Amino acid sequence: MKQTQLDPKLIIGGIIIFFLLFLVLFQPLLNKAIIGDTNPLTVGIFPMYEPPSLRHPLGTDRFGRDILALTLLSLKYSLIVGAIAGAISTIIGIIVGFSAGYKGGLIDTILRGLTDTILVIPSLPILMILSAYVKALNILTMAIILTIFSWPFSARVIRSQVMSIKNAFYVDLAKINNMSDFEIIALEILPNLLPFLGVSFAGSVVGAMLAATGLEVLGLGPSGITTLGMMINFAIGQGALSMGKWNLIFPPIFMLVLVFLGVQLVNMGLESTYNPRLRR
Amino acid sequence: MEEILKIENLKIYYRNVSGLAKAVDGVYLNVYPNEILGIAGESGSGKTTMISGLVRLVKPPAYIPEGSIFLNYKRNGDLLKVDLLKISENEMRDFRWKIISYIPQGSMNSLNPVLRIKDQMIDVILEHSDRSREEAESMVPNLLRSVNLEPNVADLYPHELSGGMKQRVIIAMALALNPKVVIADEPTTALDVVSQMSVLSTLYQVCRKVNASLILVTHDMAVHAQLTDRVAIMYAGKIVEVGRTTEVFKKPFHPYTKALLLSIPTIEGEPRRLEGISGLAPSPTNWPRGCRFHPRCPYSKEVCKEREPEMIEFGPGHYVSCFLYGGE
Amino acid sequence: MNKLKGIFKHYIVRRLVSYFFTIFLAFTLTFFFFRLVPGNPIGAFILSMQQRYSTGVLQSSEGDIVERYKEMFGLNGNLFTQYVRYVKNLARGNLGPSLTAFPTPAQKLIFESIPWTIGLLGVSVFISWLIGLLIGVLIGWKRDLLLSKVIAGLAIFFSQIPQYFFAIFLVFIFAYVLFVLPSSGAYDAFLRPGLYLKFIASVLRHAILPSLSIILASAAGWIISSRALVISILNEDYLIFAEAKGLRPFTILRNYVMKNVLLPQVTGLAISLGFIMNGAYIVEWVFNYPGIGRLMTNAIGILDFNVIQGVTLLSIITVLTANLIIDLILPLLDPRVRSGQ
Repeated sequence: MKQTQLDPKLIIGGIIIFFLLFLVLFQPLLNKAIIGDTNPLTVGIFPMYEPPSLRHPLGTDRFGRDILALTLLSLKYSLIVGAIAGAISTIIGIIVGFSAGYKGGLIDTILRGLTDTILVIPSLPILMILSAYVKALNILTMAIILTIFSWPFSARVIRSQVMSIKNAFYVDLAKINNMSDFEIIALEILPNLLPFLGVSFAGSVVGAMLAATGLEVLGLGPSGITTLGMMINFAIGQGALSMGKWNLIFPPIFMLVLVFLGVQLVNMGLESTYNPRLRR
Repeated sequence: MEEILKIENLKIYYRNVSGLAKAVDGVYLNVYPNEILGIAGESGSGKTTMISGLVRLVKPPAYIPEGSIFLNYKRNGDLLKVDLLKISENEMRDFRWKIISYIPQGSMNSLNPVLRIKDQMIDVILEHSDRSREEAESMVPNLLRSVNLEPNVADLYPHELSGGMKQRVIIAMALALNPKVVIADEPTTALDVVSQMSVLSTLYQVCRKVNASLILVTHDMAVHAQLTDRVAIMYAGKIVEVGRTTEVFKKPFHPYTKALLLSIPTIEGEPRRLEGISGLAPSPTNWPRGCRFHPRCPYSKEVCKEREPEMIEFGPGHYVSCFLYGGE
Repeated sequence: MNKLKGIFKHYIVRRLVSYFFTIFLAFTLTFFFFRLVPGNPIGAFILSMQQRYSTGVLQSSEGDIVERYKEMFGLNGNLFTQYVRYVKNLARGNLGPSLTAFPTPAQKLIFESIPWTIGLLGVSVFISWLIGLLIGVLIGWKRDLLLSKVIAGLAIFFSQIPQYFFAIFLVFIFAYVLFVLPSSGAYDAFLRPGLYLKFIASVLRHAILPSLSIILASAAGWIISSRALVISILNEDYLIFAEAKGLRPFTILRNYVMKNVLLPQVTGLAISLGFIMNGAYIVEWVFNYPGIGRLMTNAIGILDFNVIQGVTLLSIITVLTANLIIDLILPLLDPRVRSGQ
């Protein structure tokens, strides 16, 4: 009987991720269940500072907004911003990483120099300045700003993967068979890279969310929407810490930790499955 | 003559994705003082797993479901018999290296990369004896010389040595405490031919000098022919033939042994075609029923498919387990 | 041997060239970036000065004053002129006046903040590393114990929580629930800084919560990396050989495991310390701690160019220098690298 040894980390992480995706996909429905047809951001509908109750499982905040509904909506937006930033990062990372890794030589040196330079510049001040002074800060612009500092990580890692695959035997075989560069990339390298790119994308998303939350907690977030970081910022601003209103501040924190934890567990689980020596 | 090691019904199993692999499945073997015993067999026969059992370093997911390894030794004039598989790890540590030492396969990686050679040689001396550090250090040059290495090797780090040199350092370490039994696992694989010769002859000389028994495990039949006193042929987790090397080579009994010997090219004599063995090596999760060699055996009979043959002494000190020689 | 020295020298030269070039490139990029950000710090500055000091509004010579202030801050002329002027001043150690605390020069503000950041981050990072090393090695060595698995699981969980979450959590507990530890500032406001016991005690008391935030967040990561390192070492051939030699477990732990764990982990520590000057912005913000992070957060709020540029430059140089030192020292420490490269 075949026994597939799935690392429990992978399973737990997977469950967490599916749960979060479920929350995001069904957010409108859940929202309806909690507060009917109202937008969670609408101010002044419910009484202020309600403690957790059956009607409002996590209570309400200073503006009379239901915390649970707000958290779900914030989760959605945080993930969207992260996903867009992660996607753009990964695409740039692929372009740069491939060019540097596959072509090598001068292109590699130039691109690597650029990547290393950006990695050395402290990201937070630049991100803070951009978020504070860019005129129209919405989801898209925020995501673009976040990519500035997250693409180098992607690029670096993709480059080394491409280089190790490039040097693998079967690529040389393809060259002997007179396949064009493009064919080699598409048929030999890319398929082997795909699972890895998936993990890299997830990492970029988490990295972007981390940076985004940092900015939002300091008060620099996109306008018109709510994100988990912004919820935290509001909570601190409303004095939740000194008033002991845990229900204002811990739900967004909890969601963020879930996201990070889920991705990390899946990463560790995958690594352990593909490297059985680490298992036991 | 009393054997120094008596291996009885040793079994080593491990679980993998395809099921329960019975890598070593009931091995009986005796090792006598001062002899060079070879263990021959293809990859996958269980040789290396068996060695991990002999030195009691079986790591999960492998485990020892049953079996004994009896050690007969003298302590303060008394003759004592101990089952190495049943004693505690602390007691086992007492026997390690002092009585039984080990030269692993691929010795390249067996040296600690961040310690100098001399420090790695000294630590085992200090662990098992009452010598002071100075005394231990003074032993190092001689140990190195005994394996034909310059004493200045002692101050080097492992990566500064060639493969052959590292191998010889390991051999020197293995014999540092004058053990009774040395187990060498494929000591010549991964070496070039010239180093192979020199390592083998070094191994031989040093073992003879300290009167240690050497268990030499290798698939290379030529090595067995040159070096060993007795040889045991291993197939599918069991020993199928064992006897004096000259006998086994001149008159091999087991069909597998015959096939193995036919695979050695000879320089002299009539040119003949090298023969392979038909069929595929069986899988440890699914050993064939009856005699494990029967699917590939040109002489197999009905009974071979049903029952496993017993080990019979068919010549002086020459044992075989095959229905061709009785036991039906 | 001489050939090796030649290769090594070649390596040093290349490394130094890359070091200086990267500093130059990073500095130039950030310089132009900061100056291109829309916003009029001078205008805002003058306005705030007027509100503070004057009774009337000077309208006729306003343009003149703006020009004079621009000159003082080095913001007159086109970007290239500004760049050259800045570099010239930089060579003399002058970063220009700050906006945050005019006319205090930027470098003074920065130098005043540095000790607090180094003290807080330096010590916290080191303690995290040490805890991570000790605990990580132990749970890697005895990985099958239930306790080991529990600690490993907790470490994975904690490693995913950003520092500032701990900061928030700690402030919540200690400021609201318990009223024990101070949650703001680096020392009691009524004390004058100096080397006396009361002051030092106050500094330590105020540093507990901020450094605890950092330690709780970072130690987990070190625990995980040390543990993974130990597990991979335990699978190495030389470890099994050491066991076959009958060495005592403690000897194996000390000479075979720890020695192989230390080098990578010390390198990691050095790299982490290189990032100190990036500050712990949000932690310092939450605790109102007078380090580089807080200085920067305020400076960004008012676009205090000189402070922003100064801190950014400091950060770039620190990271690159730390990496340079590591690259140059590593061959000396790791015998393998010495001969291999």
